[in-house]
Amino acid sequence: MPASPAAARAGADLADTYFGQLGECFERAARAAGGGSLDLEMAGLPLRLRFAGAGLRKELLAPFEHLATPLAAAEPALAISLFDTASSGVEPPAPLWDPIEAPPGTNPVVRLRSERACVLAAAGSRALTAAAPGAGAAVFHLPDATAIPASERAAPIREALQLLMAARGRLMTHAGAIGRGGRGVLLVGRGGSGKSTLALSCALAGLEIVADDYVLLEPDSLTAHAMQSTAKLTEDSAERLGVPAAAIDSAGFEPTLEGPAKALVDLRALAPGALKQQLGLRAIVAPMLSLRQPAHIAGGRRLDDVAPPLIRRISAAEGLRAVAPSTIVQSGFGGAESLTALAGLVRRVPSYALDLSPDPAANAAAVDRLVAGLG
Amino acid sequence: MSEYFRIGPEIVHETVDGEVIAIDLDNGSYYSLAGSGPLVWELLAGGASEAELRDALAARFGAIEAIAGDVSVLLGQLRESGLIVEAEREAGNAALMAKAGDGEAYETPRFERYTDMKDYFLLDPIHEVDSAGGWPRPAA
Repeated sequence: MPASPAAARAGADLADTYFGQLGECFERAARAAGGGSLDLEMAGLPLRLRFAGAGLRKELLAPFEHLATPLAAAEPALAISLFDTASSGVEPPAPLWDPIEAPPGTNPVVRLRSERACVLAAAGSRALTAAAPGAGAAVFHLPDATAIPASERAAPIREALQLLMAARGRLMTHAGAIGRGGRGVLLVGRGGSGKSTLALSCALAGLEIVADDYVLLEPDSLTAHAMQSTAKLTEDSAERLGVPAAAIDSAGFEPTLEGPAKALVDLRALAPGALKQQLGLRAIVAPMLSLRQPAHIAGGRRLDDVAPPLIRRISAAEGLRAVAPSTIVQSGFGGAESLTALAGLVRRVPSYALDLSPDPAANAAAVDRLVAGLG
Repeated sequence: MSEYFRIGPEIVHETVDGEVIAIDLDNGSYYSLAGSGPLVWELLAGGASEAELRDALAARFGAIEAIAGDVSVLLGQLRESGLIVEAEREAGNAALMAKAGDGEAYETPRFERYTDMKDYFLLDPIHEVDSAGGWPRPAA
């Protein structure tokens, strides 16, 4: 039964109201500071990124350029509008909520939701996201794009994409995806499990890569789709993989909320031709730092002295435990639907654990052999 | 104190390969139930009381001495972790409760708790100002 107009006005309309106000601010910013847009296809859906002012265009256009494509429709199904105050001169609307404090190193988020809209206001990064998922529209704002937080550069407009895509059956999943010949595996596990290092090892070894950390999963077709063209690496991993300086973002290694400092790596510069828009999934692989040997190669030790990587089949339930908690806990909504979709995935494709070797090339070769054997 | 339970309101769960994976959306803890745990979970979700759980397991596996103690221990773990909460009597799943066994052996329930996701909650907590359940809905 639809809510009564009175009930709809009470409280739940805050999100709708703020979404509308932030959208009006974006239009003012576009008129005042000029704009520009990037048309692309993401997860099989036409998406237009609209920029007002030069600030966010400079920071956030490049990570999505690999998905650029001319769109047939004048009004694409999805549109995300981006602006910052510093380059546009337009302030966002006053908050409709009580501000909260962000202790150093944290990023608490105020969330308003209604049937139609969702607003996320991050107190640490000061990023604002307002979305109307059913309408396929979102607005993103930062105070100053030149001071863009590392978390926003690492996973640009993640919340906006997550909200719009979830309404169209694409589940943002905390996983990497690599493969060969258009088919591949989902790399799953919480932060620090070795996903990124393994994904980039594979890309350097000539495998195809969709992402190191987040993919858009289409559960019915078992397809993993790409978002941004960047990955995140610790300094230690970058050194072990021999990542060339030209592929490392000029901001260098910056502290992260979850732990060690990481730098952005441009996948297009790291492994030209390896970055793909999608892969058909044939298995789930959970990399694990080996208990058999130190993760680092001690000085003077030769790579052929260390144990090789081991791939072993694990149960579907273990696969689900490796992929679902971090995906669902980080998404903050749609937990039941996400868990059902991921359970469907682990029922349809086999799950494996990969006990990592300290030798990145050996790990990549092991994944390559697994992909080849999956058909 | 009520004899009856239901799955906690912030718990999402799936059963895969004879194992229940349950995630507490309130704090990021997640859980695994194996052995006869998934059967107990299914019966609880169907509205069974502790006594009905014991009877159902006995009907399924025979009069095994360990059942009463195992059920009591598991219920304690499930309640302590917030996976189940007390509830009013609901119409139980009579067919499930009365189902006879097909010869499978009784296994002690196995319960595991994982707390490695808690960091995300501490670093990146969400403060809900207003919420409408079940949102957003996938397009039909």
